[in-house]
Amino acid sequence: MQPRKLFLALVIGLLYSASLNAQTPFAPKVSGPLSERVVAYQIDAKYNPAQHTVDATETLTYHNLTGQPLDRFPFHLYLNAFQPKATWMREAHRDGNFRSSEFETWDPKDFGANEVTSFEVIGMGDLTKQMKFISPDDGNPDDKTVFEVRLPHPVAPGQDVQFRIKFRATFPEVVARTGYKRTFLLAGQWFPKVGVWWHGAWNCHQFHSATEFFADFGTYDVNITLPKSYVIGATGVPTSDTDNGNGSKTVAFHAEDVHDFVWTADPNFKVIEGQFDGSLGPVKIRLLSYTSHQNAWQRYLDVMKGSMQRFDQWYGPYPYAQITVVDPPHGAEEAGGMEYPTFITAGTGWFAFKGDHETELVAVHEFGHQYWYGMVATNEFENGWLDEGINSYSEIKVLDNMYGRNASNFNLLGAQMGDAAWLRGYYLPVAETDSMARPSYTDMSFESYGGVTYGKAASMLISLETIVGEETLKNALHTYFMKYRFTHPTQEDFLRTVNEVAGRDLKWYWDQAVYGTQVFDYSVLSADSNPTNWYEKDAEEKPGETTYETQIILQRKGDFIFPVEAEIKFDNGESTRVRWDGKDRWVRYVYRKKTQVRSVELDPDHKITLDRNYLNNSYTTGEQRGAIHKIAAYWMLLTQFLAHALSWLV
Amino acid sequence: MTEETITDDCKGLVAAGASLVWHRRGILWWVFGVNIALGALGTLPAARQLKYSLGHRLAGEQLFKGFDLGMFYELMRVPDVSLSRFATASYLFAALFALFMLFVSGGILQEYRQDRKLSTGDFFGASGSFFWRFVRLTLFSLVPFALLGNTYLGIEKASDYLGDKAVADQVGFVVWLLGIIVLVLITLFVRLWFDIAKVDAVARDERRMLRSAWKGIDITRQQVRSLLWIYLRISLVAWITLLAAFLIWTKLPPTAVPVTFVLLELVMLVQLAARLWQMASVTVWYKRYAEAATAGSADFPTPLPEVIEPEPQLPLYPDIGLPAADA
Repeated sequence: MQPRKLFLALVIGLLYSASLNAQTPFAPKVSGPLSERVVAYQIDAKYNPAQHTVDATETLTYHNLTGQPLDRFPFHLYLNAFQPKATWMREAHRDGNFRSSEFETWDPKDFGANEVTSFEVIGMGDLTKQMKFISPDDGNPDDKTVFEVRLPHPVAPGQDVQFRIKFRATFPEVVARTGYKRTFLLAGQWFPKVGVWWHGAWNCHQFHSATEFFADFGTYDVNITLPKSYVIGATGVPTSDTDNGNGSKTVAFHAEDVHDFVWTADPNFKVIEGQFDGSLGPVKIRLLSYTSHQNAWQRYLDVMKGSMQRFDQWYGPYPYAQITVVDPPHGAEEAGGMEYPTFITAGTGWFAFKGDHETELVAVHEFGHQYWYGMVATNEFENGWLDEGINSYSEIKVLDNMYGRNASNFNLLGAQMGDAAWLRGYYLPVAETDSMARPSYTDMSFESYGGVTYGKAASMLISLETIVGEETLKNALHTYFMKYRFTHPTQEDFLRTVNEVAGRDLKWYWDQAVYGTQVFDYSVLSADSNPTNWYEKDAEEKPGETTYETQIILQRKGDFIFPVEAEIKFDNGESTRVRWDGKDRWVRYVYRKKTQVRSVELDPDHKITLDRNYLNNSYTTGEQRGAIHKIAAYWMLLTQFLAHALSWLV
Repeated sequence: MTEETITDDCKGLVAAGASLVWHRRGILWWVFGVNIALGALGTLPAARQLKYSLGHRLAGEQLFKGFDLGMFYELMRVPDVSLSRFATASYLFAALFALFMLFVSGGILQEYRQDRKLSTGDFFGASGSFFWRFVRLTLFSLVPFALLGNTYLGIEKASDYLGDKAVADQVGFVVWLLGIIVLVLITLFVRLWFDIAKVDAVARDERRMLRSAWKGIDITRQQVRSLLWIYLRISLVAWITLLAAFLIWTKLPPTAVPVTFVLLELVMLVQLAARLWQMASVTVWYKRYAEAATAGSADFPTPLPEVIEPEPQLPLYPDIGLPAADA
């Protein structure tokens, strides 16, 4: 290389390096620390794409802020869940599926592992032989997702202890939020992660098929070496990118005040960038996608900006400098729809129709996790709904605001669906199974976990709006976020916050909706009008002159007690609303008017999504034929078509 | 006659087939009527249950003024309302229609062959006399159709496998689509083969259906380009009509149920007409070429004899008045 060119290259290199180094993990108006930093991870990792393995050395500095000496430390080894006898796999096999994967038979491609080859405690020696697998949740002796180590002497309160762990991560073909697909890799839950000292004890659950994660806040400095052709994205921001001169490169990432670190890589990634101007300054949106998904690139950027703006405005600011959005390749759908700190995976396809808002829905949902999972950071093993449920509610609010309440989920070919209705669809089949307060990992099944944690929790909050008002609930969520971000609050913290903001004790509601399994079902039992002069012979009914007695009976069919509103409409156009405390099994309303009842509808604003049966929420005296004729006409055509198709074959 | 000559005549055959369907349109109306009647009967349980569930409920408005999928899901969750329950009646009446079509095939082909209105007795006489023969033929046809079914599964597996290996999303779909196109052509070929066998059985009052089936495949194999082109063109008309109706349907307001119903029934009429059109066209073809060819020979000759060129002096369809181009 000529001296001038060499000099130029050096200057450019220095400038580039400086620009990387200048990146802080926070938005411009933020400076850390934002959390009580319990952990500091430094990891040097080398990726082997041919074997789908990572060999790494992790140095973890743990700050003992528990106020007591600690001589026992549990660690997660999540990738060991992908082994036939592991608890995760047992549960997935029991429930028959996880997302799109079925585990009826064992597929060697599903194998994953975290193998610790060396475990050293600085100043205490090599404790590899002291490592012991434990199964605190189910006693499964074959589960190797948690191990613990006893130290020769305890770590005093306020002191630090440093672990140096050498390990190999072997990834499965994409399953459950992690793994490879062709050249794509999503490295999630890939390194030994220490448990959380929470409420006076270690909280370090085994990996379960339904529930997600829980970890302490801290800092991450991770160096990843991989082939030069790979495009990489990760939690935090890149701080350096070094060409190793042997066909590989090492990219360093830095993150602060986060509780996990994930990364992804693929030589086929296309990088698309956007920017959101939030209340704390600009935030870079870095989308990693594929050429075949080009038609979704702008959709991603638009929905990310729309979502970030609403979260910023309604709940609080996003304090980080960047959000990385990963759009996984086809066949890697199980890597999609997942959240990690400052990093989310979404999902789309080359044929994604605009009216089908799934692309947007997943992006909004996963971004919402940056708040409820990322910053508020509740215990997802035990109170999954605090993250997934509150986030599903936020997702409904954002999507409804962007696309309209009745079409926020789907609006294509004359068919529509609101996001609240979609989430309610998860809840309806499992309304009689688990309470929201039950430890999530013990829920009856994967289906009941999903139905209760996402669907019921979101429906519970939507229905709560009819009691406290939409704005009050929004304020409550804002208060909860601002007060508890970068901590690990409990469900009681959340419920107490709503009580405080609403200015009332909602215990009666929480007892039924959160702690209980009461079924919500109110109905209109009957509605009819009869002339008051019914006893007179030859009495003629004259419109506008005859007086009618209208009797309406509302019924509580379930055991969930809730105040309900009913709208009564009369033939002359008059309408009235009544509010029933809903405590008794039924209530009768009587009207004497010179008009007859036309219809009665409970929950006329369609807000009580906890109600298990919408069909019995109304009654009309006249017959409603429109929908019957419509569905019958389509059904008839389908029958005719089927008949024609069969006759074509004979 | 060479296949090229027959191919040149395809346009005439398709037109002659259409003309035959039109002149013998009574058959179409009957078939359509039975299709509607059985479709309605198949829908009756669903309509009755819908009336019970939605007849006095405002919930139906969300399905009428638009189509709220959430409400449709709620409706399907009602224990007495389920797609599988509704579908049972539909399957039953669809099977009845297929049986009906199998039964009247003999009468339809006889009427098309003779190109005159048969009396009711003659029509059903022909239908009855060929019914069991056609049942046997249908049983034979199950073999290739079953093979095609398995081929479809193979296409799905291949497209999944290749799609999974490829970086581009579309590869799996493209493989699947190409496979489907080939499969549709082969399915048309099989349909054609057994239609020819049926026409042959009617023309020669053949009782040995295995012989007709062999003859059918022999003829279809020899004239594959011309015959397949006839069926394909008619199918294209049916598919394009379906697509056009779909586009119109997307413009209709959700509450325009009567208009939608008429549109959907028109689509159904065209589909049924297309099927009769295929049967009529192959009947015309058989009369023009195969029947004339076999007139001078006990076995079907290969290739067809030159004697068919030029067309017979006596017009085959004097009452239709085929254009000179067909002659």
